[in-house]
Amino acid sequence: QAMVTGRVTEAGSGQALPGVNVSIQGTTSGTVTDADGTFAIAAAADNVLLFSFIGYKTITEKVGDRSTIDIELPADVSQLDEIVVTGYSTQEKKDLTGAVSVVKMTEIKDMPTANPMRALQGRVPGVTVTADGSPGGGATVRIRGIGTLGNNDPLYIIDGMPTKNGLEQINPADIESMQVLKDASAATIYGSRAANGVIIITTKKAKAGFSKVTFNSSLSTQRYTTQLDMLNTQERARVYWQSAVNDGVDPSNHQIYDFDWEMVDGVPVLNQVILPEFIDAQQTMRPADTDWYKEIARTSLIQSYDISIANGGDKSSTFFSLSYFDNKGIIKESQSKRYTARLNSEYNFFNKKLKVGENLMATHFVNTLIPINDVMYTALVQQTLVPVHTVTGGWGGPAPGMNDRHNPVRLIDDNKQNKGYFVRLMGNAYADLEVIRNLHLRTSFGIDYQTNYERTLRKSYVSGFLSDPSNQVNTKQDVGGNWVWQNSLTYDLDLSRNTFNFLLGSEMIRYVGQDFWASRRGYALEEIDYAYLNPGSSNKDNGGGGSSNALLSQFAKVNYSYDDRYLASVTVRRDGSSRFGSDNQYGIFPAFSLGWRLSEEQFIKESIPVVSNLKLRYGWGKTGNQEIANNATNTLYESVYATDGVWNFDRGTAYDIGGAGTGQLPAGFALIQQGNSGLKWETSIQSNYGVDFGFLDEKIAGSVDYFVKKTSDILIEPAYLAVIGEGGKRWANGASMENKGIEVLLSYSETINDLSFTITGNISTYRNKITKLPDEILGSYPGNGTDKTILGRSVNSIFGYVADGIFQSQAEVEAHAAQVGKGIGRIRYKDLDDNDEINDRDRDYIGVKDPKFSYGLNASVTYKNFDLNFFWQGVKGNDVENSYKTLTDFPTLWAGSNWGRRSLDAWTPQNPNSTIPAVTLVDSNNEGRASTYFVEKGSYLKLRNVQLGYTVKGLAGSGVQNLRFYVQANNLVTIKSRSYTAPDPENPGNAYPIPVIYTGGLNLSF
Amino acid sequence: CDDFLNQKPQGFVSGDDLNTPENLEKMVISAYALLGSDHWPFVAALWPQGSVRSDDAYKGGDGPNDQAEMHAYEVFALNRIDNPHIDVTWFRLYVNISRANDALRRLNEVEEATFEQKTIRQAEMRFLRGHFYFNLKILFKYMPYIDETIPKDQYNTISNDVYSNDELWSRVADDFRFAAENLPDEQSEPGRANKYAAKAYLAKTLLFQAYQQNEQNQVTGIDQAKLEEVVALCSELEGVYSLHEDFAQNFLEESENGTESIFAIQYSKDDATPLGRIDWSHKLNYPMNPEFGCCGFHAPSQNLVNAFKTDANGLPLFDTFNDEDVRAGTDDFQTFTFDPRLDHTVAIPGHPYKYSRYTFANAWVRSPQIYGYYMSLKETVSPDDASFQKAPPFMSSAKNWDILRYDEVLLWRAEALIELGRQDEALPFINALRKRAAESTALLEYDDNTTFSNYHIDEYKPGLNCNWTKDFAREALRWESRLELAMEEDRFFYLVRWGIAAETLNTYFDTEEEKASFLKDAVFTAGRDEYLPVPLAQMNLSRNLYKQNNGWQ
Repeated sequence: QAMVTGRVTEAGSGQALPGVNVSIQGTTSGTVTDADGTFAIAAAADNVLLFSFIGYKTITEKVGDRSTIDIELPADVSQLDEIVVTGYSTQEKKDLTGAVSVVKMTEIKDMPTANPMRALQGRVPGVTVTADGSPGGGATVRIRGIGTLGNNDPLYIIDGMPTKNGLEQINPADIESMQVLKDASAATIYGSRAANGVIIITTKKAKAGFSKVTFNSSLSTQRYTTQLDMLNTQERARVYWQSAVNDGVDPSNHQIYDFDWEMVDGVPVLNQVILPEFIDAQQTMRPADTDWYKEIARTSLIQSYDISIANGGDKSSTFFSLSYFDNKGIIKESQSKRYTARLNSEYNFFNKKLKVGENLMATHFVNTLIPINDVMYTALVQQTLVPVHTVTGGWGGPAPGMNDRHNPVRLIDDNKQNKGYFVRLMGNAYADLEVIRNLHLRTSFGIDYQTNYERTLRKSYVSGFLSDPSNQVNTKQDVGGNWVWQNSLTYDLDLSRNTFNFLLGSEMIRYVGQDFWASRRGYALEEIDYAYLNPGSSNKDNGGGGSSNALLSQFAKVNYSYDDRYLASVTVRRDGSSRFGSDNQYGIFPAFSLGWRLSEEQFIKESIPVVSNLKLRYGWGKTGNQEIANNATNTLYESVYATDGVWNFDRGTAYDIGGAGTGQLPAGFALIQQGNSGLKWETSIQSNYGVDFGFLDEKIAGSVDYFVKKTSDILIEPAYLAVIGEGGKRWANGASMENKGIEVLLSYSETINDLSFTITGNISTYRNKITKLPDEILGSYPGNGTDKTILGRSVNSIFGYVADGIFQSQAEVEAHAAQVGKGIGRIRYKDLDDNDEINDRDRDYIGVKDPKFSYGLNASVTYKNFDLNFFWQGVKGNDVENSYKTLTDFPTLWAGSNWGRRSLDAWTPQNPNSTIPAVTLVDSNNEGRASTYFVEKGSYLKLRNVQLGYTVKGLAGSGVQNLRFYVQANNLVTIKSRSYTAPDPENPGNAYPIPVIYTGGLNLSF
Repeated sequence: CDDFLNQKPQGFVSGDDLNTPENLEKMVISAYALLGSDHWPFVAALWPQGSVRSDDAYKGGDGPNDQAEMHAYEVFALNRIDNPHIDVTWFRLYVNISRANDALRRLNEVEEATFEQKTIRQAEMRFLRGHFYFNLKILFKYMPYIDETIPKDQYNTISNDVYSNDELWSRVADDFRFAAENLPDEQSEPGRANKYAAKAYLAKTLLFQAYQQNEQNQVTGIDQAKLEEVVALCSELEGVYSLHEDFAQNFLEESENGTESIFAIQYSKDDATPLGRIDWSHKLNYPMNPEFGCCGFHAPSQNLVNAFKTDANGLPLFDTFNDEDVRAGTDDFQTFTFDPRLDHTVAIPGHPYKYSRYTFANAWVRSPQIYGYYMSLKETVSPDDASFQKAPPFMSSAKNWDILRYDEVLLWRAEALIELGRQDEALPFINALRKRAAESTALLEYDDNTTFSNYHIDEYKPGLNCNWTKDFAREALRWESRLELAMEEDRFFYLVRWGIAAETLNTYFDTEEEKASFLKDAVFTAGRDEYLPVPLAQMNLSRNLYKQNNGWQ
């Protein structure tokens, strides 16, 4: 026997693997690797060393005459022994019977985003993530389609603490594991809040016996690539001229343009656009050719740094991390800075019989409050004729004949000083006592506290004909949070082949929130350092409110396994909520699931050895939804003095009955809602059929799930008969819907010498259908409210007219049904009911916004020191309402706006093949109506991420465990349907554009 | 643990706590507050429904798509039962009614001994309710009539065909009758309705009721007894109210709640609300110069401007007014002669804006290529007016808006007398308005005493400049109503009352479409377009309990 030494690293990353079991096959002698992944063991030449580590493949190596054996352990794709957190307890993946997706954190760990959910877009079948490009990192997450008519956000469980807040508030580098509980049999343990699915996040802890410092850093630049193609000054004038000529109106009857034009052989010809010296009567603005997108956008920088220190001892372990994420958005001055800190620690007592620990997170956000939607919209509609600045350096702005929209550069500049400060403290302290062997009593008390503070200065301005001489400072703060107290008892019972896990628990949650705001006007200085409330001299105004709710729950679960072959699980949860009246305060949510591991059966093992894993699963369960107003069961009056009347009705009660015209007014109360004491939980019943499989020792692995989810008693605020009057709003259990879908995940991995690769693909689809709606609210959903209704259709249906080409001749116009405003060059609408008249009976369902399917494809290749990763994501078969078309195609619909370059190619007698109707100044034909003209194919395929990494090896002696450099790009390639006429079907509205991002970064641990 | 789940509402009050005398007064104020809770889909001043739908005004704004719902009003042919503004209009009026009914339910329960203002406040609430039902009546003809005695759980059983057209008018009138009988002659607070306001509104209601309509909305007869009552009621206001010396005073803040104002929405600013409880009705109706900046709505039609022309006798050109256009940007305003009310009503390029130092210019107009160069004046104030309030991107003022004005009372009295065949008695009232108009030029002069336009107006002098027959008097009265109330809410509803909406508007469209191409496809369908349809949403929510209006089925 001689000493054999060596180092175990992770295949691909080259990262040192501490804690790997190294044993001599057939003996009991063995050791584990240390923090650097190194080991030393006495072995003979004919011994075979066995390297095993949870989550990795086991490798055997004959010693031979070697004294040094370095091993690269490939990750085990199937990870059948992986521990999966399933809610108040854990299970091995092979024992799962519910539809649970485990997220591969390694695939997304270096993404330059504040929100790991954004990086997950397309990676987990059945999980739909939509996000814009805003620096703050918000994302919309939908699990298995739209399950209800209200709030569809999933429930997040972070180290046992439930929250509905998005994940942009936690440091992605702190996440150890993430699992998605998709079906009811898995999610029911979270009962009343689980109907939209549950995402469980566990943060990192130090591993016993090892210390490690990890540092990650990346720098990214991002830029804007999805601008709409808008007209420049000359082109817009030409389109205006064409419109006037088409209408037979004198084009020179315009506030700004004049034209040199003539008729040549009966065809109007424009020789020259004549612009005035100034575009405004005040002579402050010369005609410009401003590229507004260029003015508002920038190539910007994202910086990300995080450092963590893990220290695991025998009696205690500590994980501490700090991170800084600074995302300067591609819209100038937009910025989100995030600071996080985390401390997870655990202490053992009495020979590990008692564990006491805590998880604590602090997050601080500083967001610059740029009115992005307005900036985006005004950059689109503001005419290029408007200069950014006047001749004297003031703000340019709309001139006569233009629409009343702001100069977007001013919007940015006048708001860049305004910031929002968000702080969240979240954590829990717990104790776990092993009362007798395998019987654990656990208690945990947690808090989740959030506060948001904003101080904004609204500056006075003059910008074209828009002006406001007043300034205002607004300060607001809200504080809110909940505490959670959980107690649970778990017992594991192993009776030879029969294995039981029992769980019994209770949970109490209490939420309290308060907010206030105050504002003043009349500031002598318009500087943010001056802009506190005190210096304001007039219009002192303020307000505030509060809210509270509580949940009280009990739950129990039993898992049973017979001989690793037959699996069963039963769950029940009872939830009480303050949101429901005494009649229906409690709801009960049962579930069960069954599994059969065929691959453990002798007949499979013997006859089909190629099968390494095969499991059939079935689950059934009931989950709930309580996302309604806290006081929904009460009839309430509110003392409302006044509300802002700029964009909506003032619903206040103050009135100048004395006719003074000013001063404090008498006021009263307004009814705001009708109580409904009969309110109860919305429930979803879901069945899931699943199969997990693996072949060739898990080289090929995957799963297929089919689900049917029926949601009933959906909580809605139905529209009500107007005669009921003010405060007619009430919550009720009204609608039902159904979602069905299939999710498929497939992976293939192979290692050939130094080359290893893994390809993972997923595809999922769902069909949504409204199955019940009260008659009286049918009209609130797409349809005509009478005979064409949403029943039996997706809630995401589009309803409207069918545009049937463009009238080419007077004969065609006359042959067509009566259609107000029809004419040559105009859109012909189909007479669906054949009554020779185009009216509202000619509308029908013309599209569905749900994709036919969504998919993702990830390919990872490692070769020696290099690793390369591609990730493609796409959706197929969805319809999009391209509202941009009202701006790009129709000069008439927004007469004072800038228009799209498509309008240059509009129909004229000389251009009869155009699909764009003739430009006109007056939309007599009502072409802005909802019709197939605006419905376009939204399919796209994006190269979400491509990453190349290089791991520096041979640093074992220097204390460095791992050093890796990488470069990556996000959203590099977009393939979209040719028929989609705006730039990005993923982002059809006016949201923050999705940028292309280039990143360089490093991972270092020692 | 049961207590743990019992979380009290934070910051709200239950209805039972609101029956103390102090809170009853507050509930009454609450109901008044909705008089001026306006947003463009439904405004108290009803200019989109009453003025844009008539021959007085174009919608204005950026183009036909800017508030396309109002464009549908304007051209009729595009209007639909699911036009969202129609539903909002219906909905908001019932919101307003519900606050009045809420107050009434509480007032009915309280003892006079506990709350000595009980009857007066009941009468005020019924006056308010009457006002809101009156608006529903002229907009929709048939509506569910719900008073405070009907339990809320029965609201969904009450259709809009419980009462006939005539009976519905009587229900509206009942509220004003109760108010007239129980309100004091004077109220210490000018915002509250008094006895005379109730009588005036009753007169207005009875005048509309007097013109009997069949199911096709045709006027089939005029109820003489109702006309007699109108005359009697109007005469009771004589001596209590009087015309302002200058017509302009009706449209200036400094003279609000004056001798001519009978009942007005009390607007205010610097009143501890974010931007003031200002006149949001008209927030879209200011021009586009930097002092204002939005949104160029409610533009006087060419037809209206032409209607202010007078002949050599200073009388209207009933038959030839529209033969020649008065063109903006020309010297037509000096070559033709005009009724001075023109420059109180219409902003004209080159003329001072709203009696101020600012000159209304072409550059103030938003989309002249579509809506021409004229804009509306009565509802606006000058930028330097004390009542002006910016509410970016909009603006308006704390100037009151009259719901009932004494000049209207004179017109109703004259109209009733004429239809009673007593046109000679009507003459002085019409002439009073013309005399006042003639004398209302003080604010329409430049420093050198020349006037903005060339004014020439005279009273009707039977035998001298006219032959005052019943037919002539009727035409004169209708013309006078148009000029006196131009660009206010009345024109369309008056045309319907007189039974001449279809012929007037289709004639107007035939000539006006040459000047305003967006009217090219405008058609008024007789028997349908006199009223808005019951909104589709309400038809559906009522599960078709409601009966759709004629022509809209």
